[in-house]
Amino acid sequence: MNTRNPLWRFAGMRPAAWFFFVFLYLPIVVLVVLSFNGGQSATLWDGFSLKWYSVVANDAEVVRAAKNSLIVATLATLIATSLATLAALGMRGRAFRGQTLMSGVLGLPLLVPEIVTAVSTLMFFSFIGLKLSLFTILIAHVVFCIPFAYLPIRARLEGMNPYLLEAAADLYASPWKAFWKVTFPLLSPGIVSGAMLAFIISMDDFVITYFVAGAGATTLPVYIFSSIRMGISPKINAISSIILVISIAFVALSYYVGQRKR
Amino acid sequence: MGNSSAISIEQLSMEFGDPGQGVKALDTVSLEIQSNEFFTLLGPSGCGKTTLLRLIAGFEQPSAGTIRLYGEAMQDLPPFRRPVNTVFQSYALFPHMTVAQNIAFGLEMRGLSKEEISETVTRMLALVKLPDVGARRADQLSGGQQQRIALARALANRPKVLLLDESLSALDQKLRKDMQIELKRLQSETGITFIFVTHDQEEALTMSDRIAVMSKGRILQVGTPTEIYEAPANRTVADFIGETNFLTAEAGDDGVKLSDGQVLSTLTEHRGPVTLAIRPERVSLAADGQLLGKVENVVYVGTDTVYHLDVAGQGGFRVRQQNRDGAVGGYRVGDQVRVQVPTAAIKVLVE
Amino acid sequence: MSTPRLLAERRQLGRRLLLSTPAMLTLLVFMLLPLGIMFVVSILQSGEYGGVKWGEYSLEAYRNFFYERDLDDVLVFNTDYLEIFQRSFWLSILTTAGCLLIGFPTALYLALQSERKRNLLLFLVTVPFWTNLLVRAYAWMLLLRNGGLVDEGLQGLGITQHGLGLLYTDNAVIIGLLYTYLPFMVLPIYTSLEKMDWRLVEAAFDLGANRFHALKRIIVPLAMPGIVAGSILVFIPSLGNYIIPELLGGGKTLMIGNLIQLQFGSSHNWPLGAALSFALLSFVLLAMLVYSVRFKPGSAGGHP
Repeated sequence: MNTRNPLWRFAGMRPAAWFFFVFLYLPIVVLVVLSFNGGQSATLWDGFSLKWYSVVANDAEVVRAAKNSLIVATLATLIATSLATLAALGMRGRAFRGQTLMSGVLGLPLLVPEIVTAVSTLMFFSFIGLKLSLFTILIAHVVFCIPFAYLPIRARLEGMNPYLLEAAADLYASPWKAFWKVTFPLLSPGIVSGAMLAFIISMDDFVITYFVAGAGATTLPVYIFSSIRMGISPKINAISSIILVISIAFVALSYYVGQRKR
Repeated sequence: MGNSSAISIEQLSMEFGDPGQGVKALDTVSLEIQSNEFFTLLGPSGCGKTTLLRLIAGFEQPSAGTIRLYGEAMQDLPPFRRPVNTVFQSYALFPHMTVAQNIAFGLEMRGLSKEEISETVTRMLALVKLPDVGARRADQLSGGQQQRIALARALANRPKVLLLDESLSALDQKLRKDMQIELKRLQSETGITFIFVTHDQEEALTMSDRIAVMSKGRILQVGTPTEIYEAPANRTVADFIGETNFLTAEAGDDGVKLSDGQVLSTLTEHRGPVTLAIRPERVSLAADGQLLGKVENVVYVGTDTVYHLDVAGQGGFRVRQQNRDGAVGGYRVGDQVRVQVPTAAIKVLVE
Repeated sequence: MSTPRLLAERRQLGRRLLLSTPAMLTLLVFMLLPLGIMFVVSILQSGEYGGVKWGEYSLEAYRNFFYERDLDDVLVFNTDYLEIFQRSFWLSILTTAGCLLIGFPTALYLALQSERKRNLLLFLVTVPFWTNLLVRAYAWMLLLRNGGLVDEGLQGLGITQHGLGLLYTDNAVIIGLLYTYLPFMVLPIYTSLEKMDWRLVEAAFDLGANRFHALKRIIVPLAMPGIVAGSILVFIPSLGNYIIPELLGGGKTLMIGNLIQLQFGSSHNWPLGAALSFALLSFVLLAMLVYSVRFKPGSAGGHP
């Protein structure tokens, strides 16, 4: 069945799909185009120019915010992916009592609304008397990165032929050797996928970071938000475009890697 | 129980789930498998044959009992310390390694030198008649080729016993028959004890030196193919191996009487209710036959014609006649016929 | 009564639990515990300058949902917060409906494409998923503000005479929410449709059904798991959304998310913020419970 066959042309299907994609991408395209605006306005076009990008590059605050985002994202990814890999390995195999519950706990950050997580994490830090800083941001990020790293790793593990490990044991590999020579190579695309996902999620996070960031510990999204609060400006257009392009490149890369390893 | 037995199974039990309430996959099974033997575990699904194989390999721990390899108890050893190797049903070749790396895996784990490994891999590929595929990735081969590589990978380690878990069931008919001959050849060439698991009784009869027929976690009979086929120990075995006709009868002093009064002579000394097991190919339709029946159905299967008769009120009594003279239409549905039943063809089963 | 098999199994289980422990511990301490603390805060007394008085309990926060205290400290029925709850629900319902309206035909279109085209389109659907929501919301600010692209475009096409003043209204928030959550509706429905046996539809055609009937009687019912999943994935998160109403609604269109944030910003009422969060969380958990019992495949209450 394909759309060339008129039998399958359901009414309204095409226009809806077109609307969907235009609706989805128009704002992004407009934003990127306007970031090259030569004039002072964020929306009125006044010639092509790269000047806003150079403004951004020279703005120390932006650069520092970007650095903070990168530091947090990298550390959070490393920690979360390691924890998620261990957890996925632990969850593999015959079902045991309480496994569903444990799976539920691992997925909790996905279920709880972001604002609730933000509030509760803030309460927690206040309760234990931990001052808000880049470190508190890191902790919060590790927590919500874990499920994002976990899902692709778990999926990859489930897809692995369970007899491969038995074959390895049958061929004199101890459990440790079997892990390194069989499980890990087959798992690594999933780990890479999970890490990339966690990285993007951490870089993009706003709500939770906003709540638990200390003064001076600004990440890029928080910086953007504060800027928007002060008023729309082409500079924000430029920063936003940079972030967009990086995210899209990342997603494309991760997709490509995923397709190849199949 | 001598040390000459390659594998000695003593009172082995396997229960899944909580002790006492679980599913008994194996129920106090005992067995001796000899050196240089092609031994087959035969039975329908769920009979415990695969469980038994996995216990020998070490992938499961028994609930009770002992497994000995040439006299040494081995059930406490993990699989990577048992000198037995397995050919898996799904082959389980490592997809991220080449064929050569797959075959070399066990040798690497045991720390053999690079030269030895390389030489063995080449030898194994020649043994399974696939000398050129060494550099290919394991998942690029056809099913039949994968099967042979799985075999090579296991044999490369010169195990004392080779375990094969329904390894031929994924192959198509012709390939399967070729592999059956191959396996038999490999076993006699290498002299390694093969333990083969299958649910296909024809396959078992073709390849085995001895067969253990299993059902519901128990061993029903152990013997050579001839013994199992010609002298089944009970109705279950007789029914599972080949085709059998069963007639309920009463054994008396002057012969065995069927429910409609017909009498057949047998060699039995038993008296009382019995079941007669008669193979369809051992009887024939003849004018001077002792048994009376009525033709219900005539089935032409190319090499033979099978007549389904109603005998003594029971339907489904099959007589298999070879079509030596081609597809000659002899008898038709509704005909009254006589069946020649040699005394030796009647197995009397007392349940 | 221990058999070797049971001992081996127990050892293996122990090893597996050990592997899961670091992740579980992290989540227990930094996710579950904070939620507990949040609940405790919601029943504490508010501090004078923000924060809370640990150890002094009060249900004032929950009372604030319905009442406020006037100058004589008397409880007066107050609908302000209730209005906000109601608005959040209403906007979320509208968003869900809108997503269904656009999302279902889109998913259908996707499912009927050739494999290569499908992969490309799927990729295009997922990309905005992973890009920064803040940035995309900002893009809408550019489009919707007075003199922005929407105004210019519509005036240029002659559809409108003057600016619509879309930004900072309920409508802007709905557009923003739709924008955020459309992919969440399309993907589950697409998954359901992709798994469907399309020969069933052919059978329906063969038996005299036209396209409309085939949709109504075969396709939609079979895609129902995806539709329900998509609706949940849109409705629940949109309830607690903060960024969209904040940026696109200005201070005028308050949803639960903004209300909560206010308590930690200018209002300095932590217990109320915690109480509101807890109420939101409870609702979300309840909805998920209902979903998994009533709709999840394999559950006893699954509908035919």
